[in-house]
Amino acid sequence: MAYSLRLPGKFKQWKVKIRDRETVEPPHATVLRKTLAWRINLRTGEFMDAEPDPSEVPKALVKVIEGEANWRTLRDHWDSMYPHNRVESEEKNEEESDE
Amino acid sequence: MSEPLVIVEDNKGLAAHLAAAKPVSAFSAKQVHAAWTKYVRGAIWIARPGPIVKLLAEIDPLSKTPHRLLLIGSPRAPERAFLRAIFERVVAPDDEIQMLKLDDLFEVLGSARRANLFIGGAVAPAAKSVVLIRGDLTSLVVPFSWFVARLHGPKPDFSAFEIIDYGQTIKLGDYEAAADAVLYEFDAEFRRQERKRRISDDKSFGGALRRLRLQRGLGRDDFPGLSAKTIARIERGDVKEPHGETLIRIAERLGVKPDEIASF
Repeated sequence: MAYSLRLPGKFKQWKVKIRDRETVEPPHATVLRKTLAWRINLRTGEFMDAEPDPSEVPKALVKVIEGEANWRTLRDHWDSMYPHNRVESEEKNEEESDE
Repeated sequence: MSEPLVIVEDNKGLAAHLAAAKPVSAFSAKQVHAAWTKYVRGAIWIARPGPIVKLLAEIDPLSKTPHRLLLIGSPRAPERAFLRAIFERVVAPDDEIQMLKLDDLFEVLGSARRANLFIGGAVAPAAKSVVLIRGDLTSLVVPFSWFVARLHGPKPDFSAFEIIDYGQTIKLGDYEAAADAVLYEFDAEFRRQERKRRISDDKSFGGALRRLRLQRGLGRDDFPGLSAKTIARIERGDVKEPHGETLIRIAERLGVKPDEIASF
């Protein structure tokens, strides 16, 4: 089942989801409002796309998403849903050991 | 650039729902004819079956222009046949096609990015495929096999197909797939747009290979005849252009043509 972050009532028009089938690299959560979507990189906390304008997402909502407990929950859900491409990529370590 | 929207008005105020998209309204046969001839590259027409058939019947035969029509309401079979003979494509809700709820549908049609949102679709069990209809009324065929179930995750239930989140999610029972993931896989033009709008993106061949490999759920050691080290070196950019034979092996394993890899 897709994971949907529980948001405070004042953000009832917004959703933050990780669905069962996503583009998997990089790991991300999608902020949805009506026909618009913003993707936040779960590795860096940065918005992935220049459009739509990331500043259209209220700062208070970003704060909720990136609050310690929610951020950890999103990252944990990603890891359980996409274990072959975890937030803390194991492949990086493999690369280093290749050197 | 989205195609223009033409609304064939009736007394139920269709255009009011789409005001934000600044549609052209046509109330008379003369206005329908004018819009038909003005948009030579085609437009998206939205109408209820009764009014558009009545207005089209009043005008001379129309030139062959790639207009597409979305009907709000099911036409009777003869009306459907008539409209299909005139329009390049006709989309109408019926027992087979599941459409978005009307309010959500108008929201999608009014969006500048409607072509990248889904407004409905149908499940074709015999073809083991889902046909998805985009907001520009074109279609995309997605095989059942693309909707991969995760370990311990829900299985896609194709008998419970619906489009949610204003065209941004395909829901199959408890299973949800992101519309942008579908488009990324099946529409090369969408991939091009997508990479353009990304703030930071590894645009190298290696970066594309890594994204595609992970999308397929493959490890670096899942390429028969090639070592994990070789794949890692290509992904890191140590090898800029893999040799022909290597490239063919990689492409075969990923299920794409060799020249498609770089687009991911």
